[in-house]
Amino acid sequence: MQWFFDALNFITGLGATVMLPIVLFLIGLILGAKPARAFRAAVTIGVAFVGINLVIGLLTGSLGPAAQAMATRTGVKMDIVDVGWPAAAAIAFGGEVGKWIIPLALGVNILMLLIKATKTLNVDIWNFWHFAFTGGLVYWATNNMALSLAVAALNAAIALFLADWTAPGVQKLYGLPGISIPHGFTAAYVPFGIPLNMLIDKIPGLNKLEADPETIRKRFGVIGEPMVMGVILGIIIGMLAYLGDAAVGTLGVQIQKILALAISLGAVMLLMPRMVSILMEGLIPISQAAGEFMQRRFQGGTFYIGLDSAVLVGHPSAIALGLILSPITIALAIGLSALGVNRVLPFADLAVLPFLLAMVAPVTRGNIVRGSIIGTIVIALGLIIGTVMAPAHTGAAIAANFTMPFAGATISSICDGTNPLTFLLYSMTRGGGGLGWILWAVGVVVLGGVIYLYKKNSVKWEAIAGGPQPEEVAEEEGELVRV
Amino acid sequence: MAGKPKTILVACGTGIATSTVVANLVEEALRDRGFNIHVKQCKVAEVQAHLDGVDLIVTTTQLSGNFGVPIIKTLAFLTGIGKEDALKQIIDALNTAKV
Repeated sequence: MQWFFDALNFITGLGATVMLPIVLFLIGLILGAKPARAFRAAVTIGVAFVGINLVIGLLTGSLGPAAQAMATRTGVKMDIVDVGWPAAAAIAFGGEVGKWIIPLALGVNILMLLIKATKTLNVDIWNFWHFAFTGGLVYWATNNMALSLAVAALNAAIALFLADWTAPGVQKLYGLPGISIPHGFTAAYVPFGIPLNMLIDKIPGLNKLEADPETIRKRFGVIGEPMVMGVILGIIIGMLAYLGDAAVGTLGVQIQKILALAISLGAVMLLMPRMVSILMEGLIPISQAAGEFMQRRFQGGTFYIGLDSAVLVGHPSAIALGLILSPITIALAIGLSALGVNRVLPFADLAVLPFLLAMVAPVTRGNIVRGSIIGTIVIALGLIIGTVMAPAHTGAAIAANFTMPFAGATISSICDGTNPLTFLLYSMTRGGGGLGWILWAVGVVVLGGVIYLYKKNSVKWEAIAGGPQPEEVAEEEGELVRV
Repeated sequence: MAGKPKTILVACGTGIATSTVVANLVEEALRDRGFNIHVKQCKVAEVQAHLDGVDLIVTTTQLSGNFGVPIIKTLAFLTGIGKEDALKQIIDALNTAKV
């Protein structure tokens, strides 16, 4: 029997860079990918993890100490480094839950299609990481694998419902017939956007305002580029942390440190996405095989095809909104930190802000002024959530074999560390045990009830989410495609 | 097929997620058909900065503006539906592009 435990210990000791490629290789084969392709893909994923780990090290190693120095000198305590969604995705896929998320989320989708609880055939395998992330946080808190997988599955089911609900509005605003967006981050803000938009409708003056996206984009120019934004933030943070501090060294040494920090942060902004693109490349053969597998199973049916919200953010209003929200996010972080409720230092995920409201945009009809107001509210809330969830986020990262540069370093990411849906699911089940399962079951029942109500009155629901008004709908609600 | 390689710029919202998928699939499919091509990726907001030597832009999201080269907007490589048509469109556009 001893050999069995030795083998088990050996396997768990391999870590994300070895274990995940092996698991994904097997999943690829089961879904019908060619062995040579699946092997190359699996190795690519392992390599990507090594790369992402290097860049997280660079980021937390350079920004972490600077943030702490800044906190001590200015009293603005923002010592939780925002490592960004690329790192969060790697943490999610690299964790225990992440290894099983592809078959799990596919299973949830198949089940919901069979019982006609969704119309979305989700082929966006990459974004399963959001569900794995939530599950990973729960696993960190409870050490209960079954419950963690169950929470991840519930998250996947909620995303499918949100995708169905918002599909007509998204299709109309973005001109994407047959598409829905079961995205764990972008879709999560729709339930917030709708009431806030209704509230704005009631405020005289405010309900008439609008801004032109093109002008906003031109105003920001080169600063809008993540790499340049990284360098500028690096100089500002560096000055607050090191300038005029004799303990650091002479003025020359201080300036050296500031400029080194600035270039390092510019490097992170450029390199992190590149590393994730390698991870993405490795997942392609597997996600393709999974997509084809799903389409074979449901041949002849009509569906929405579920895609990444990246297909939305090219819209001028999404880009403009992302640019406006960057300084707002930093200002909020400083303000809330002064109030003692935020410790997150927004950085790498400033680049992800266009995603935040891409699915709320149909609700506001693409109105940027409204987007900015709603964005300000959800980001403020998000920073507080991010501060609360940072220990779990950091714990999940360590569990996935990512190295923290120094003891006590804490990380977060705007996507999904500040995601209210992730927070809700995590808070409900983090206690684990019987109560965790009961609250999970409540979540399932509530979702079932909501889907039932939505299906009974879908046209009205969809109109609220930015779809065509009931009187505009002749016979069909959203455009479906035949697979 | 000899001659100067044609450059395709694939743009999406992140320059990472969907564009990686499309860039890989387009490159593979065109190589299999004997085309000599070079594929670059970027964000839609950065297209202007990456335009040097580009013969064709393929995008998965909305791309506004005139860049002097053909733009093909397609989700076919992501959904798997209509992939052949999209490839044909790309090949036609490459064949008519100025050398």
